[in-house]
Amino acid sequence: MEYIENIPIYLQIKDYLEEKIITESYSLGEQMPSVRQLALELAVNSNTVQKALKVMIEEGVIITLRGKGNFVTENAAVVEELKNQIVNETFDSTYDKLHLLKMNNQEITNSFSNYVKQKEKKFE
Amino acid sequence: MSNVLKIEELNYKKGGKKILEDVNLKLDSGKIIGLLGENGAGKTTLMRIIAGVNSVPEGVITVNGNTKKVSIKENVSLSDHLDGFKATNKISEIVHFYSAVYQDFSITKYEDIANFLGLDMTKKLAALSTGTRGKLVIALTLARSAKLYLLDEPLSGIDSISRKKIISSIIRWKDDDSTIIISDHYVTAIASLLDEVVIIKDQKIRDLIPVEKIQSDYHLGIEAYYEKVYLGEIQ
Repeated sequence: MEYIENIPIYLQIKDYLEEKIITESYSLGEQMPSVRQLALELAVNSNTVQKALKVMIEEGVIITLRGKGNFVTENAAVVEELKNQIVNETFDSTYDKLHLLKMNNQEITNSFSNYVKQKEKKFE
Repeated sequence: MSNVLKIEELNYKKGGKKILEDVNLKLDSGKIIGLLGENGAGKTTLMRIIAGVNSVPEGVITVNGNTKKVSIKENVSLSDHLDGFKATNKISEIVHFYSAVYQDFSITKYEDIANFLGLDMTKKLAALSTGTRGKLVIALTLARSAKLYLLDEPLSGIDSISRKKIISSIIRWKDDDSTIIISDHYVTAIASLLDEVVIIKDQKIRDLIPVEKIQSDYHLGIEAYYEKVYLGEIQ
């Protein structure tokens, strides 16, 4: 994994792991690799992995079972909420930028709809 | 978290020339710390002083609560560039030497690391590439069971594949409560490993700062921050 050097690495790892959970590389209820395994896979210090996991545990995305390790939550609603949060964050900056161009909501919706159609054509 | 290392009022001169001046430093255990500074800034000297190799005429060094040189040596594993060995020495002979000199040297741990790094016991020192020699130095250093590991430019002159292997072995074999100080010019290569950085400039410690603070407060990477400190743009 390539890291952006001026953003705390634990945040980048958190994003990476959350993406894996949303895309079901780690399924609901599945045991996560150990901290050291993740550290090796991601080529970072174990302390950094611990920190990323700590935030995810606080958010309820990961559950710690004492003596057993870390598991992805079994609650699909938590993962869905996480996904919505990422979708919103992704749209936030785009929406603000288009608003600055004095586009109204209808124009923004139309242009995004056109954009998606063009994308579909590219993949046909 | 306890202090694995405490340096108080350290001054060091060599041949009348100041090498380190008024050094005070406290490091918590369990972390990986980058020691950054230009050539000749005093990084190697500082490591040798911490390890008890160079005597300290002025100042106090405490490692894991110990101030006596003998106890400090038992707590610190300093990477050695193996210049004291002959070119004809085989790796097996060097391993034997380490095992005889250091009571905390574990042959099993050495073999695990050596296996991972692909080191061959029968090879002679002269036959090793820079990368392989670097791997040997790391395996020997990490095979000791110390509280504090000092890695003096472990990636210097080493190709990128060997560099990745060395970094992996540091991650894999570092105990949770042991501390590692790494000095290097290749800041970017070790950046993802570091919890904190110490910057030495003009014989003095200019900064001890968590990497996260550099990224969150200054919105910079380690290298850019280090350059700004060196250029005096950050005091």
